[in-house]
Amino acid sequence: MSDVRTAHDGDAVPGVQTAAAARRAVPTPVSDDSRLAIEIRGLVDRGAMDEARERFGELVALHQKRATRIAYQYLRDAAEADEAVQDAFVKVFSHISAYREAWPFEVWFTRILINGCLDRRKARARRDRWFVGGEISGADELRASAGTADADPERRLLAQERRARVAAAVDRLEGRQRTVFMLCHFGDCTPREVSFMTGLNESTVRVHLFRAARKLRGLLGGKP
Amino acid sequence: MIHRGHHLHDDRLFDSYLAERRGETIDPPTAEHLADCHPCAGRYAEMVRLLEDVRAEGEAEADAIFTPERLRAQQREIARRLEAVARPARVISFPGQMGRQSTATSSSRGAPRWAAAAAAAGLFIGIALGATYEWESHGRLAERMTARDTSAVRDGRLSAVSTRGSSPADVAADDAFLSELEVALDRPRTRELMAFDALTPHVREVSQR
Repeated sequence: MSDVRTAHDGDAVPGVQTAAAARRAVPTPVSDDSRLAIEIRGLVDRGAMDEARERFGELVALHQKRATRIAYQYLRDAAEADEAVQDAFVKVFSHISAYREAWPFEVWFTRILINGCLDRRKARARRDRWFVGGEISGADELRASAGTADADPERRLLAQERRARVAAAVDRLEGRQRTVFMLCHFGDCTPREVSFMTGLNESTVRVHLFRAARKLRGLLGGKP
Repeated sequence: MIHRGHHLHDDRLFDSYLAERRGETIDPPTAEHLADCHPCAGRYAEMVRLLEDVRAEGEAEADAIFTPERLRAQQREIARRLEAVARPARVISFPGQMGRQSTATSSSRGAPRWAAAAAAAGLFIGIALGATYEWESHGRLAERMTARDTSAVRDGRLSAVSTRGSSPADVAADDAFLSELEVALDRPRTRELMAFDALTPHVREVSQR
């Protein structure tokens, strides 16, 4: 299965998930989503595809919001993030037979999602070498600002500026730092989970996180 | 035990932040130090505020774009795409009419064999006749040419080809033109070298003197 691989990229996390990395996974009690994934795997194996699809809808509902947050922070483009999330779910369903209980479903899914996002970033970088680079679309900015609960236009504008500053600062993080920071902060992953997803040592993950936080503090001048 | 004189390093503070976020208890010596040391507590508070703000801003931004409506649309799209997963690929058959036609053609293939044979024979005969005619007309033309050349030689009617500009004046003008051309070609074409070239006497000029 091509996408059950470690997050990889020129600017991101190298290496392939190995047995050693799998051994690092601490046996935790099977979570609800993992149990559901196992059930879906059984249904697919038995050929009960319609039922499997129906149950998979529950998994989608569970992880969709978190997945879109991660993908959007990674890609900074709503349409691309949307596609990346869809692709990740479809990929997970197509390869559900490869899912093993040793990996929490959330971790497995996030890895597939992150790999997809990294591939898209790579493709975008290639595209940008030939065409004008696509920044955050105006429509996205408009939607983001319109979504702010604050009705005061001045405050809304300030919030928008603040978000742009934060996004720019996160984007300036070095590849690994950015991956680790995003997984930890926007994906709600623990350093141990990030270590499992990326194949990096847990202490290395902590170092990257710490450096990312220090760099962000420097870039944002203590406050965002 | 962390002495009051030593402040906490940033990575200790960060570990405490991560532990607190996971709902775990902070390392007791660190917690004790944070309670006693105001500068460290201030640094810790600032770090937590920064990271929480970054997180909150990012989440708010994504949530503003991915509204519940949009997420529902995304779910529908995922469901639609999943419908296609694990379905065997459809084999598109040829249109029925064409299939029938081809079958009919193949069953009656033996009948018009004589037509194909006749066409081949006609083609062969046509080519052969054409070649014969070509050969004969070429032979006749060659014969005619030979006869004309022979008569012309016999009559002594060969005339010289006239050339223009063979007078002494024309020859001198040609020489001047060619020497000018030579000089132009000898001259360096690089702009930077042209000044040096103008100052330097040429072999031709020296020899003329």
